[in-house]
Amino acid sequence: MIRIENLSKSFGQKKVLDCIDIEFNNGKVYGIVGENGVGKTTLFRCISGLETYEGNISSDVDNLKDTLGFLATEPFFFSKITGKEYIRFLVNARQVKLTNIEDKNIFDLPLNQYISTYSTGMKKKLALTAILLQENKVFVLDEPFNGVDIQSNLLITEIIKKLRELGKTAIISSHIFSTLAETCDEIFLMKSGRILKKVDRKDFADLEAEMKEFSIGNQIAKLELK
Amino acid sequence: MKEYFRLQSKILNRKFIDFGLPLLVAYTLLPILFVWFSNFLFAKTEFAGYVYPIIALGPILRMSEPKRNDFLKTVFSRQDYFKLRLVENLICCIPFLAFLIYQRLLIIAMVLLLLAILMARFNMDTKTNFTIPTPFGKKPFEFTVGFRKTFLAFAIAYLLTFISIMVHNFNLGGFSLILVVLVCFSYYSKPENVYYVWNFSTSSKTFLFGKITTCLTNFTLLGLPIVIALSIFFIENVNILIGFAFMCYAYLTAIVLAKYSAYPDEMNLPQAILLAMCLMFPPILIGVIPFFYSKSVKNLNPILHDSN
Repeated sequence: MIRIENLSKSFGQKKVLDCIDIEFNNGKVYGIVGENGVGKTTLFRCISGLETYEGNISSDVDNLKDTLGFLATEPFFFSKITGKEYIRFLVNARQVKLTNIEDKNIFDLPLNQYISTYSTGMKKKLALTAILLQENKVFVLDEPFNGVDIQSNLLITEIIKKLRELGKTAIISSHIFSTLAETCDEIFLMKSGRILKKVDRKDFADLEAEMKEFSIGNQIAKLELK
Repeated sequence: MKEYFRLQSKILNRKFIDFGLPLLVAYTLLPILFVWFSNFLFAKTEFAGYVYPIIALGPILRMSEPKRNDFLKTVFSRQDYFKLRLVENLICCIPFLAFLIYQRLLIIAMVLLLLAILMARFNMDTKTNFTIPTPFGKKPFEFTVGFRKTFLAFAIAYLLTFISIMVHNFNLGGFSLILVVLVCFSYYSKPENVYYVWNFSTSSKTFLFGKITTCLTNFTLLGLPIVIALSIFFIENVNILIGFAFMCYAYLTAIVLAKYSAYPDEMNLPQAILLAMCLMFPPILIGVIPFFYSKSVKNLNPILHDSN
């Protein structure tokens, strides 16, 4: 369980997160939605302990960071390192013993090739594989479906469902509403660094309609396309 | 094209400022250091004439990186692009050319000039499917990545060791070991992304201990063939060699700690000054290593969530 109380974060004068209160329970999948720049990634970085913040983030595990897998929107990779070496590095960092990485290569990635030869989607799949093999209890996935092919999208959806079954917590952000609707138990809507509302599974359809109305509205008309 | 070079000089100036060097000091110090280093190299080994162009080609090779050049190709016309690459390469090798001419190594200077011109026409394609095998794959990342980028330097170092034995020149052998240390030094010059430190579920002290142990073990693996070969063929200098090897360990420990003493920022002037002082007067290492260590622990604690 992760409890976030009164979480605020500013970059200089700009307040990115403003008094956020949320609770994430074990065995549940949570979605975070909102426009670009609304503070989703900053929230994720705060939960992961990659940013300092005001407020409080507590959990039922001793050192949350050590049992948390963070998938960044654009994961960083070293040049001249192979997929297998990347996985080994991340797994070793958590002192997890892993004997045969190839057997766990569910996305069929060319693990012996340099990551620099991978496509965007392959990089995302590699980063996801690595954090899954770290045996984490909490998963913070920032845009896990971005740039990933349809087959892998289906696989990632099933992985997230499996994580729930195993009693793990997953927090996901995505701009593809259908994937969130399929995997999440609750979705939080963010606006201007605040949580605007919490929506349960039964109300997902209403949320989608509301977001569509809000996002599209008469925006296209402004372009005066001819 | 003028705008491009204006931008490059701005970037360079910003790098100096970020490093903590006022521009006036930087532009005064840089030529002095260059001449000092060149003189030092030529005084220390008779093979400096061969090593020198290799050093000069380093930055030129870096500028042959395809991603960067593909971008330039999209911005400039074909003709301007080649002009630009040519000017860049010439700017990089002019100081080296001048020193080679001063040393009357005209043929080597000509070869360097020719290579610089030729390399303006080519990209070094790093996006290859061929993975260079490395003995360090089990413990990524510094030596795994570094070895793949610099394996040629080790080939040169081993070749120099072989030549030193052939011509019975212990100093040249010593230089080959220095080359290995310097290359290993370079693996710790840039800070890694915070994510890669954050991932470790260890205390700051254990993390640092692990980094130092990996560094020293891997250096031993690379340096041992040279040390063994020189010990066999220069038995009279074995004491110097052992002492020198231990100095290398101390310097490598210092560089690992210096990196994390500035982390997550890049090492800058204070670390550079202390390291330079250590190079000039090694006993300072006794004080510098614990200093870097305590600063590193302080920097790593918030990232590793270590409250000790």
